[in-house]
Amino acid sequence: MFRSMLVLAASLAMLVTGPVSAQRYSQSVMEVDEKPGYEPSADEERLPAALQRQSVFFRTNEQPGTIVVHTSERFLYIVQGNGRAIRYGIGVGRDGFQWSGLNKITRKQEWPDWTPPPEMIERQPYLPRFMAGGPGNPMGARALYIGSTVYRIHGTNMPQTIGKAVSSGCFRLANGEIVDLYERVPVGTKIVVRHAPEL
Amino acid sequence: MRKNYRTGLLMGCALAVTVAAVAIAYERFDTKTLKRTINRDALLCGVSTGLPGFSNADDKGNWSGFDVDFCRAIAAAIFDDPKKVQFVPLDSKERFLELQRRKVDVLARNSTWTMSRETDYALHFAGVSYYDGQAFMVPRSRKIDSALELDGSKVCFQQETTTELNLGDFFRANGMKYDPVRLPRIDDVLKAYDAGQCDTLTADMSQLYALRQRFGKPGDHTILPDVISKEPLAPVVRQKDDDWMLIVKWTLFAMLNAEELGITSRNIDQALASKKPDVMRLVGTEGEYGAGLGLTRDWAVRIIRHVGNYGEVYERNVGTESKLGIPRGINNLWDKGGIQYAPPIR
Repeated sequence: MFRSMLVLAASLAMLVTGPVSAQRYSQSVMEVDEKPGYEPSADEERLPAALQRQSVFFRTNEQPGTIVVHTSERFLYIVQGNGRAIRYGIGVGRDGFQWSGLNKITRKQEWPDWTPPPEMIERQPYLPRFMAGGPGNPMGARALYIGSTVYRIHGTNMPQTIGKAVSSGCFRLANGEIVDLYERVPVGTKIVVRHAPEL
Repeated sequence: MRKNYRTGLLMGCALAVTVAAVAIAYERFDTKTLKRTINRDALLCGVSTGLPGFSNADDKGNWSGFDVDFCRAIAAAIFDDPKKVQFVPLDSKERFLELQRRKVDVLARNSTWTMSRETDYALHFAGVSYYDGQAFMVPRSRKIDSALELDGSKVCFQQETTTELNLGDFFRANGMKYDPVRLPRIDDVLKAYDAGQCDTLTADMSQLYALRQRFGKPGDHTILPDVISKEPLAPVVRQKDDDWMLIVKWTLFAMLNAEELGITSRNIDQALASKKPDVMRLVGTEGEYGAGLGLTRDWAVRIIRHVGNYGEVYERNVGTESKLGIPRGINNLWDKGGIQYAPPIR
């Protein structure tokens, strides 16, 4: 019941935000509320093939190991050298990243705790003020903290938001994917974030 | 005798003049593709006989796809109406001759740009709209992510000279061995791979993504990012009508530049108010760039508004939002990891 309501909410949001075919670009924003306590099934955790982690052609001057995110796409890259990168499908916060440029991963955390920011509490007043890490936590299985910012790359308990711009949050990956990324990224890893140019 | 000679000379001259006049008229006609397209009130666009993602008609005859959208973009630039296109399905054998015979104004039919095609048929390829090339698919369980790890593989492919030659060259050049499994039709190739008769399948990358879609769990198969041959797909026009070629070429460049500048079908109205010179030149709030093409100053706005920028067209038809799900990869913009690069509008 809970799940079908979630799916209904998601499809309603898609109906509202994705009108004409020419405008059905990946920028469509999903108004999906956080669902603390919700644990996705194994089927839900399996991403569509297009969003699954994969090795792709990627031409860059950045050193192997560097994380690159173009927020206009819905992908995060970890540079492998030799003109390739491993690409992960991500969900990007609509107003998520206010900064762009170069930063570093400063901390890593397994099953991070969750403290919803004030804006989110305002929109969803019934949310807990704190939730300990574990399955069902919106922060998911792992988190990578970026510099001294409030932003992080983390997992999610709502894998269906991957590939979308979601209404809140940082860069989120499906739990299986963030676990893979976590193993590849030591503290001190460079991260480059670029936004679409301003008009 | 002498009189006969003079008559003959006169007649010969008259014939020569007539032939020359016809030839000149024909040539002039040949250089008026835009005028003829406008008079006809529709663009004649040569497409494939059906290739999902690139050009495909539904049961009501509505065409969609990456190549189809490119023709709609040209129509949008000319008519401010992306629907003013007549699609003409052409098979791979007749396509270049049909273009030469003026059955279509432009060919947007997943055609590889090669030297002999330009010289033999007197055609121009206007710019690479999609970089394709031969690639490999392997079961995800093999945990391979580079073609250089394919040593000792059993490789299924369709008997066809270029596929087999490229495969042989690639393995030889990298000091690797493979077991070839040659099959007559692509369906047989897929079946053999599915049945485990081989552990690797090779074909053009766009085709691999289409084939993968036919498995129950497409995600169980990895398509390696390595491209081992050059198949640059490009829209084609006849030679001798440079004005028309410019329109086709700059339609593609406008779509690429729009993506690079962050202009989409969703924010095109904001772009019209922009004070950034690059944006202003593209949307026509500065300069007379449309006039140079024989079009209006908002020619590029029409393309972006009705059809979208390159990235939108890509994602909608062959990318993440489509069934194919082909990563941008080599077709991403030059500043985002790929090699798509358009000359600037200025």
